[in-house]
Amino acid sequence: MKQTKTSLLSATFASAMLIGGGLVSSAHAQEVYTVGVEASFPPWAYVEAGDFKGIAIDAMEAIAEERGFEIEFQDMPFPSLIPALASEKIDILATGLTVTEERSQNIDFTIPWWETNDVVLVPEDSELNVFTAVCCGARVGVQGGSSQQAWMEENVVDTGDVDVELAKYDSYVTAVDDMAIGRISSVIVDDTSAQEYINAGKPIKMAGKIFIRAPLALAVPKDDPQGVLGELNQGILAIYESGEWEEIVSSYIPGVTVPTIPGHMPDFVDTYQKPVAGLPELGNE
Amino acid sequence: MDIYDVLLRDFPFLLKGLGVAIVLLAALLVIGFVLGMAICLLQLYGPKTRFIQWPIVAYERVFRGIPIIIMLFIFYYGVSQFYDISAFGAAVLAMGLRSAAYQSQIFRSAFQSVPSGQMMAARAMGMSKIKAIRHIVFPQALRHAIGPWTNEFSSEIKETSLAYVIGVVELTRQAHYIITSTQGNVLTVFAVVALLYFILNRSGNSLLYAFERKLAVPGFEK
Repeated sequence: MKQTKTSLLSATFASAMLIGGGLVSSAHAQEVYTVGVEASFPPWAYVEAGDFKGIAIDAMEAIAEERGFEIEFQDMPFPSLIPALASEKIDILATGLTVTEERSQNIDFTIPWWETNDVVLVPEDSELNVFTAVCCGARVGVQGGSSQQAWMEENVVDTGDVDVELAKYDSYVTAVDDMAIGRISSVIVDDTSAQEYINAGKPIKMAGKIFIRAPLALAVPKDDPQGVLGELNQGILAIYESGEWEEIVSSYIPGVTVPTIPGHMPDFVDTYQKPVAGLPELGNE
Repeated sequence: MDIYDVLLRDFPFLLKGLGVAIVLLAALLVIGFVLGMAICLLQLYGPKTRFIQWPIVAYERVFRGIPIIIMLFIFYYGVSQFYDISAFGAAVLAMGLRSAAYQSQIFRSAFQSVPSGQMMAARAMGMSKIKAIRHIVFPQALRHAIGPWTNEFSSEIKETSLAYVIGVVELTRQAHYIITSTQGNVLTVFAVVALLYFILNRSGNSLLYAFERKLAVPGFEK
């Protein structure tokens, strides 16, 4: 028994030392920024053969090189990213992040680097157009909690003029599959995802576009404690003007039209008021 | 490239994720063991004042009563306000402290299963209380605890997969990477991951059972 106890004790010590090592978070050198990404969200960020890939990853690396700072990526599930940014566990959030009023109260956005619009998807053989697909007793699929659901409720369903029922799904993939079976007549989804489904060979087509011009941007903690917002804004503009941005995007979504940068900057975002960090000539009055 | 080629190519990353899960498991079980044993000894043999006993009971109730996913968030974001804790450190702490609450109860029942007459006999022979615990009760209690402890071991292995919510890239997260980068194959990828968890679970339990047999008191083997 005595022997057993001694070996248990030494195992305890060894593990305690191991934990001690793990507990200490890697100290941040001043110029290394931790970039939080959701690495299961292609084409923006994902992992293939152990390497980070995606538009946000490549663009972030290009921006860091352009502006001369170092970055390291930290993967986290999407719902954890904004809290992590707000509590400064990460310095920069880079993923397909939509700029919303609610979010802008907790985090600061860079200038928009992408713009999504919603499209109405219908089965390949359907004769519906963008208006007939969303009226007259149609059942329309959206992802529950998405910006598309919010937009449809606000602008179509709640007005009471149009007879439309929303079917809410856990994910757009199931919505699109349900449309193929015929349970719903159309699906409203953002254009970047729609293009992915079409490229993946699903039997669907776009009946038309709804121009909501939702901007996507990078984000930093509120009030930019690291002073990196200006660097990011200048970096985004620089890789856009050099053509590197278009090259990156086209390598992930072939055939896509790249929105101009800076795009539409909503009034409700305080970092879009003049002067914008790093780009004083830009901004809303 | 079909999914089997991708799985073959990415298998080292799955093993790396499994390694992270194993280190997390070992660390949390050790914290749970040391702290759980201390709580058990204090509950059974410590001073019976409310000052000592109430905080222990409160600790055990709180940590057994809150979902681990909430604990992970509390430790990662809450502790960060005072100390820059890493995601892995937060996972070890949250899960280790909770395991301590569970393990304390495993040990308590093991200690209480040693007939109380033995303690009396030991004291009657002139042993001090501490000596009696150490030489008479503890060796038997620890043997009794191995069986129920395999349960704790098995359930903690599976819970390590939750650590990904705060950014610990373990086996389940590595599997997510393969699923999203190949746009599907949920069933195939998770079947492989399930097998890896199962193998780890079985081999750990086999070791523990072998340990139990080896330590069995002669004449009292099952």
